[in-house]
Amino acid sequence: MAILEGRNLRKTYRLSRKNTVEALKGVEVVIEKGEMVAIMGPSGSGKSTLMHILGLLHAPDPNHGPAPELYIGGENMASLSDNARTKIRARRMGFVFQDFNLVPTLTALENVTLACDYAGIGGKQAKQAGVAALALVGLADRADHKPSELSGGEQQRVAVARALVNKPEIILADEPTGNLDSERSAEILALLRQFNREHGQTIVLVTHDSEVGEACDRVIRMRDGRIRTAITGAGAPVMAAPAVAVPA
Amino acid sequence: MRLVRDLGRRKLRSTLTITGIMIGIMALVVFGSMANKIDALVKGGSDYYKDKITVSAKGGFMGLGGVLSTRMVAQISPLKGVDVVVPGVSMLLSDEVSGVSMGTPSMIQGSVANADQGREKFAMHYATGRALLPSDEGSNVVVLGSDLARQKKAKVGDTVTLRNVDFKVVGILEPTLTAPDNSAMVPMVAAQELYVKTLPALVADKLNTYEIATGLVVYPKPGTDPEAVANEIDAKVAGISTMTGKDFDQQIGAATSMLNAILIGIGLLSLIIGGLSVINTMAMSVAERTREIGIKRAIGASRWRIRREIVIESAIIGLIGGLLGLALGFVITTMGNDAGRESSTILFDLTFGTAFSSVAFATILGAAAGFVPAWSASRLDPVTALRYE
Ligand SMILES: Nc1ncnc2c1ncn2[C@@H]1O[C@H](COP(=O)(O)OP(=O)(O)OP(=O)(O)O)[C@@H](O)[C@H]1O
Ligand SMILES: [Mg+2]
Repeated sequence: MAILEGRNLRKTYRLSRKNTVEALKGVEVVIEKGEMVAIMGPSGSGKSTLMHILGLLHAPDPNHGPAPELYIGGENMASLSDNARTKIRARRMGFVFQDFNLVPTLTALENVTLACDYAGIGGKQAKQAGVAALALVGLADRADHKPSELSGGEQQRVAVARALVNKPEIILADEPTGNLDSERSAEILALLRQFNREHGQTIVLVTHDSEVGEACDRVIRMRDGRIRTAITGAGAPVMAAPAVAVPA
Repeated sequence: MRLVRDLGRRKLRSTLTITGIMIGIMALVVFGSMANKIDALVKGGSDYYKDKITVSAKGGFMGLGGVLSTRMVAQISPLKGVDVVVPGVSMLLSDEVSGVSMGTPSMIQGSVANADQGREKFAMHYATGRALLPSDEGSNVVVLGSDLARQKKAKVGDTVTLRNVDFKVVGILEPTLTAPDNSAMVPMVAAQELYVKTLPALVADKLNTYEIATGLVVYPKPGTDPEAVANEIDAKVAGISTMTGKDFDQQIGAATSMLNAILIGIGLLSLIIGGLSVINTMAMSVAERTREIGIKRAIGASRWRIRREIVIESAIIGLIGGLLGLALGFVITTMGNDAGRESSTILFDLTFGTAFSSVAFATILGAAAGFVPAWSASRLDPVTALRYE
């Protein structure tokens, strides 16, 4: 069953009247539930832009071509309000970014429970979940540390804990290992893989690191705002996937 | 707690902003307390003069000025609408006018006890001792107002010196927040004897000491319009001027409400400046936290959550500034009153209402100042905010 499905995804950034950047030029992407997928491609090829659209942070452009479609777990995301999209991000998605992006004034535990708070879980329950998530990433003893008191790798593990704490269906990670050495990268990747295996979470990650790509089930390759090749872990072309029925 | 920690992040700037609010609220508290005091004085006067007519010598005011005679009682009593006429002698406690004299100067008031025949409705309560009696006429006894008693450190049974004459204290009044607090009430004869000594010998020789009055209080018959009675007295008696409750309200009330408006205006002005500084602080802190707001939005904080966070933080700045300003205002008004007590110049009346509304106002101002930056923060595009350096 496809958990993420997008068609005709376009995005044009308008810097000025004349200067526009076509970041996505009509992308079709289908990601199955429980898959761990890497998006790879040269810088500027539109990987982050696609990630933002799949993560409901940006809406695809509606004009200049066939109507864009975006389904999450079969639900149409086309005309959702900002509030509804925010709610889905809070409850059904987890995000990891390249530069850790923790709130500097909050402790590690508070950073993690912030995600619970936004998902509508508070108090003891949130604290328990937060402590468990930190334990999972091996930082139980750093719960009361501020981000500035943690190493880069540790900060990114806190960010992973924050992304995992609500056990979301989908985790979107934009170059989660981009600022880490290979050893720390492997740690983060192993964590994501473990979670993907144990809880069947769908993971989409953008990476420049071909080793990371190889560790995933499948790599989606982008170039110049389009998907170039896409192969499944088994080597079969992914274009077979749209055979899955799409709810209209 | 998180919010308080956020304030701590930029200590200097938060401190400056809080100081701005603090000074504004302090000004509001101090000036507000001053206005309260003036209001209480005026209200007391207004209550006192409401149901009576005060007769003074022409050119005089409120029973001060030229000399009248107790014989005028016979002249005024038969006039239409007049019920009871009480002659009295008023004089300043001291001829030296003491620097700033806000409110009422200290006075000696003489009249025969109970001469009003129960018509006086202005209630006076005795903290200790007793009221003056008709039988006190001829002896030097005094009832002191609360501020005056405190100033002279006098208790019932003590002897105080008024214009170089010793008086025995028989009673001390509860505070009224108005004129009697600064007054020494003495029997009529004692007042006449003190008064005659203040006159030049040439004038004094021509007067019968025991007929001296500086003013007369006229109580109209119940149900009679005091204005009509005042007009009647003005028409029939030469060399005097009358004042009714309405005259008092017009002359004193109008002047003081203007003064109060100016005082409160100064306080509000300083607060508006404080409020602008909160907007500035919050706008800067939002700009600084752009990235953090982006993270929060990305991981699921609604626009409403972001707005609420900033408005609350800003309201806390207002609340802290308000509480500190109130504390400072309290210290200033208390010290001011302590210093003024020496000369019976109580300038401030810090009421619960003034205290509460000042702090509430600071908090609301803080929250309101947070709205603009909160709104712009909540409109940030999360992706753009995340990229922000
Ligand atoms: N906010 C923006 N305003 C204008 N142009 C943008 C914006 N964001 C992205 N772009 C442009 O869109 C194109 C695709 O950008 P995107 O960030 O998706 O690339 P990417 O594949 O993630 O690259 P990288 O590997 O360097 O992160 C680029 O040419 C980029 O300059
Ligand atoms: Mg990118």
